[in-house]
Amino acid sequence: MKISAFTKTYEKKVVLHFPDFELVKGKITAVIGSNGSGKSTLAKVLAGIEPSDQKNHPLADGSVGYLPQKSYGFHMSVYANLMLNKHDKELASRRMDALKINDLAKKRADRLSGGETARMALARLLMGTYDLLILDEPTAAMDRESTLLAEELIKEYVRETGCAVLLITHSLQQARRIADEAIYLHAGELLEAGTVDQILYHPSRPETVQFLEFYGFV
Amino acid sequence: MKSAFIKAIELILSGNAELINILQVTARMSLTSSVCALLIGAPIGMWLGSRRFRGRDALVVINRTLMGTPPVVCGLLFYLLFSGVGPFRHLKLLFTVEIMIIAQIALITPIVIGNMETYTAGIAPRMMETAKGMGFSKWKTFLLLGNECIYPIFSAYLLAFSRAIAEVGAVSMVGGAIAWKTNVMTTAIMQYTNRGNFTLGIALGIILMGASLMINILITLLQKRLSK
Repeated sequence: MKISAFTKTYEKKVVLHFPDFELVKGKITAVIGSNGSGKSTLAKVLAGIEPSDQKNHPLADGSVGYLPQKSYGFHMSVYANLMLNKHDKELASRRMDALKINDLAKKRADRLSGGETARMALARLLMGTYDLLILDEPTAAMDRESTLLAEELIKEYVRETGCAVLLITHSLQQARRIADEAIYLHAGELLEAGTVDQILYHPSRPETVQFLEFYGFV
Repeated sequence: MKSAFIKAIELILSGNAELINILQVTARMSLTSSVCALLIGAPIGMWLGSRRFRGRDALVVINRTLMGTPPVVCGLLFYLLFSGVGPFRHLKLLFTVEIMIIAQIALITPIVIGNMETYTAGIAPRMMETAKGMGFSKWKTFLLLGNECIYPIFSAYLLAFSRAIAEVGAVSMVGGAIAWKTNVMTTAIMQYTNRGNFTLGIALGIILMGASLMINILITLLQKRLSK
């Protein structure tokens, strides 16, 4: 799946310059980098939430599904929230099973805790079918058990639909567990791209080495 | 005060024809103007709160200024527009309930817009980002936004109705407080007080407060039921 090059400027400062890039369908690509490196900006521009400077949206071919960092729980039950995306009772039941939120089905989504909202939002998004799925720190608010369940569901979704996934994460362990590819962003530039093993264990750029050393990876 | 309260009960039970007419005109004017203001103001407020465009802040400031429009200024403006020298004199609406309703709509619509804009601006960025992330159409997103605003819509309506039923400046100027025609509770209270008939004035005041209380209880119960 091709992504066209673009830049994004906020208040006359270029915050992201992204080159032409190709994502592999059926693979999960982790986007890593420190705060302010442009990870969330990349997600928002690709999802069409923010326009690129070139206004050349859509930047990716095909449909895009996007999970924001802080998803919104519509003022209705968790079950109704899932059905909003796709009216499929059997699929909704499977998604809720996968994330163990069946007991929350009748609870109002705007009254959930942060972790519950994150699980509901992921289940709701994965009711749809997309060519490119962009997940912006989907498990940041989840506990360890929910995180592992969410990772399993994401992998299962990729197997089911064969879509390309862009997983923005601060957890290098998570990238290692579920991603096939990885890209490293630094100060608004894509510095390195390759397989997860290449990026995490054999980085070529000194900036990547410095970033990974902090997490004890190199 | 006690005698005024007894007088109010007596007035209601007696089925006084003038009182019933005043109540009918008041109800027609307040309910019509507040519902119209809600129908006009709620979508505009939601639109203003959920969009980012050049000139948006200026519109918000203008609306906030209009929210504070003194009723007499509004009354004067509509009086001039519809009086014998005004551009709309041929409509012959001056001193009718219709012009009172129009003046009230102009007064209370900015209040509805302001309330809806403030609430919507608080939830719209996250809500719309989430909706767009799932690929929802603009129309579906706007309908969902409406659903998210049910609770504040009721609050905005209550505010609009309270302002409409309690307003006196504009309605007395454009309506003229004509007995059996355009006299409403507030203008009638003023008339009775000016004539020194305080008991009747207080009695009408008690009825006005009672009617307002009933409407508020009704809307609040409906609001609670819908928010469950």
